Order: sequence, then C-alpha cells, then structure tokens
Amino acid sequence: MATALRIAVLRHIRIPVQALEGFRPASASWNLFRGQNRSLSSHGDEHLEREEVVERVLAVVKSFPKLDPSKVAADSHFQKDLGLDSLDGVEIVMALEEEFKLEIPDKEADKIDSCSVAIEYIFNHPMSG
Amino acid sequence: MASPWKLSGMQRQVLALYRCFLRAARLKNLEDRQRIVSVVSAEFHHNANNVDRKNFQYIEYLLRRGKRQLEQLKNSTTVSLSTINLNSCALNTITEDKKLASTYH
Repeated sequence: MATALRIAVLRHIRIPVQALEGFRPASASWNLFRGQNRSLSSHGDEHLEREEVVERVLAVVKSFPKLDPSKVAADSHFQKDLGLDSLDGVEIVMALEEEFKLEIPDKEADKIDSCSVAIEYIFNHPMSG
Repeated sequence: MASPWKLSGMQRQVLALYRCFLRAARLKNLEDRQRIVSVVSAEFHHNANNVDRKNFQYIEYLLRRGKRQLEQLKNSTTVSLSTINLNSCALNTITEDKKLASTYH
C-alpha cells in the first residue's frame, strides 16, 4: 500500500530542467579544478610520466639557493657536481617531498645523493603526485 | 653513476634530527616556519663546519640538546627559536609565546 502510494506520488513529481541548469557552471569549474590537482591514486593512468618527474625534480634542485642553476643536470651528484654537503642534501630531499606530496623515510632519504637517484626513487614511488 | 654519500652512524643521526626539525617547522605558519628554518639551518651548518668530526662527546651532547629543543619546538605554543652567541659560549633559547597560548584557553 505504502509502496503503491510512493510510486504514484513519484510519477507525478516533475523537476523543472531549468533548476538543474543553474548547477552547470559550478560543476564545470569543479572539473577544471580537479584537473589541476592530481589525485594521489596509485593506480593506472594517474601515474606520473618520467619526463614530468625529471622536469620537476630539476626545477626543485635549481631553486635551491646555494647552487648555480645552470650546472644542474639530470645526472648531477649533489656533493661532487654541485658542491653541496649532506645537510643541503636533506633540505633538497625535504623540498622534493613537498613537491611530490611524499614522505620519504630516513633510510631511503639518506641514499638520495644525486638528481638521478631522486628521479628514480620518485618515478618508482606509487604515491608520487 | 657517482658513488653514494658515505655516512657514519653519527652523521645519520644528525641528518635524521635535522629532518625532524624541518618536519616540525612545516607545522607552523609560514612566517614562523621561515624563521625557524633559517635559525635551525644556520645552527646545523655552523656546527657542521666548526665542530671537529672526531669530537664524538661534544657531538653527542649537541644531539641530545637538539632532541630536547625539538620536543619544545613540537609544542604548539612555541613560535620562535633563537640563538645567542656570547663570546665562544653559545646559548640556545627557545621562546614560548605565552600570550599566544593564552588566547586559545
């Protein structure tokens, strides 16, 4: 009885299409917003392209105040090529953590001593964003 | 490819402590964070360049002092960190802004 009544009522309810039109601009901008903010999903096509990782890692390293940005290349060693010490290395790894929204454990972070190791680590990390 | 850093156990401890300081600073607001990072960074670099790497006892002491300061920094009422150099004796103080704390209670 209640079900029949519910169906009868629902059949007579019509939502005017115009009311929904108003939502469209908002949802379109929401989609745009989502496109700019990469999801942290570890699956499928959301994973970063290698070229993008290389570009962003180099941009972070080049922005480090103590070095000459023109010397930074994908195979630069922090200490030997860029003249940095291990404390500077920590600062760069922390900046990379923020850039790629990662938390790198100490054990792994201690091994990152060059751009190429950083690129490899971040590219292979499923949570890089 | 170039060989990795060669780090001793003590160096690893120092780097881990430095990392903890930078992580703790991330939780502060931008202005406090920049100030904290510049003080902490200067302190670590200064000691790295001036303390004899074989002076294990002194480094151990600095590590212990650093850990204590880190705990204070993690306290949400701590907004600044300062270093005062008096002759060769370095005094480190951590300022707690009690006024700020009282606004929350």
